[in-house]
Amino acid sequence: MDLKKKKDRLLIFFAKEAGIELKAALYFLCFLFFYFLYRIFQGVWEASIIHMVEMIFSTYAMGYLQVYVFSNFDEGDTFTRKTFFYSAFCSGLYTVVAYLGKWFDESMGTLGLFYIYVLLAYICAYWMYKIKRLGDTKALNEDLKAFQERSREHGECD
Amino acid sequence: MKYTVNQVERGEDELILNYVSLSEEVMRVLAFMREDEKKILGWKDSVQVVLNPEEIFYVESVDGRTYAYTEEEVYKINYSLAKAEALLCGINFYRCSKSMIINIDCIAGLKSLSSNRIDATMRNGEHLLISRTYASGFRRRLKGE
Repeated sequence: MDLKKKKDRLLIFFAKEAGIELKAALYFLCFLFFYFLYRIFQGVWEASIIHMVEMIFSTYAMGYLQVYVFSNFDEGDTFTRKTFFYSAFCSGLYTVVAYLGKWFDESMGTLGLFYIYVLLAYICAYWMYKIKRLGDTKALNEDLKAFQERSREHGECD
Repeated sequence: MKYTVNQVERGEDELILNYVSLSEEVMRVLAFMREDEKKILGWKDSVQVVLNPEEIFYVESVDGRTYAYTEEEVYKINYSLAKAEALLCGINFYRCSKSMIINIDCIAGLKSLSSNRIDATMRNGEHLLISRTYASGFRRRLKGE
């Protein structure tokens, strides 16, 4: 394998790793918010470090699962039926981890809410990226129009 | 851009271009200096055709051969993609993937895709993908940087 191919493979690997890091951070923050709200409603003003460690590890594990097992499905790309199925499945797995880790004291109602919350987080991630791409498309087309106008002006001058 | 015109007693006519970076303006001057090289020869069904770069939508390398695509026709050209790029980059062509250079003036619309890729819709409705490796440079080129 030549150096260029090795470099390309390394870049693809790092791009995947960066994606996993980003998603882990995003979902960890979402879980933390839900967890803190739950604790506050319970009248508890402390959070368990063990729970938080479990959360961050589970988000990393899910990132690797998404990339290497679930054909690298990206909720930031398109939201097809397959993406919805994978999102629902991953939300289910997170809920199982939350149950086993006793994040919400095995409260079934809270676990049900948590499942819906995680699924909504997946859908919101898709909408966030979609809105970002819409804005980017608009900016790109404005730049293209300006470029082509400049090009025409120069052409007319020639 | 500053320029100086000197009349000399002997020697040959000469243009010297000193530049700090390959800006759009510098590339236009370069393109003007290479005016004679602008035409591209293409072949279709053993018939030789002279192509104006303005009518070429994009140039693609397929299996070691290079093709120029106009609005409706495809012509084989006898340049490598690198040579075609060197010839055309000064006149609004841009390398959009490993195997393709695209005429920015022939793009009808752009769409931002995931992973920093860009979908370019050409004036004939054809869709071309600007890969993420080249997308950042393409954005800078559009802004004239």
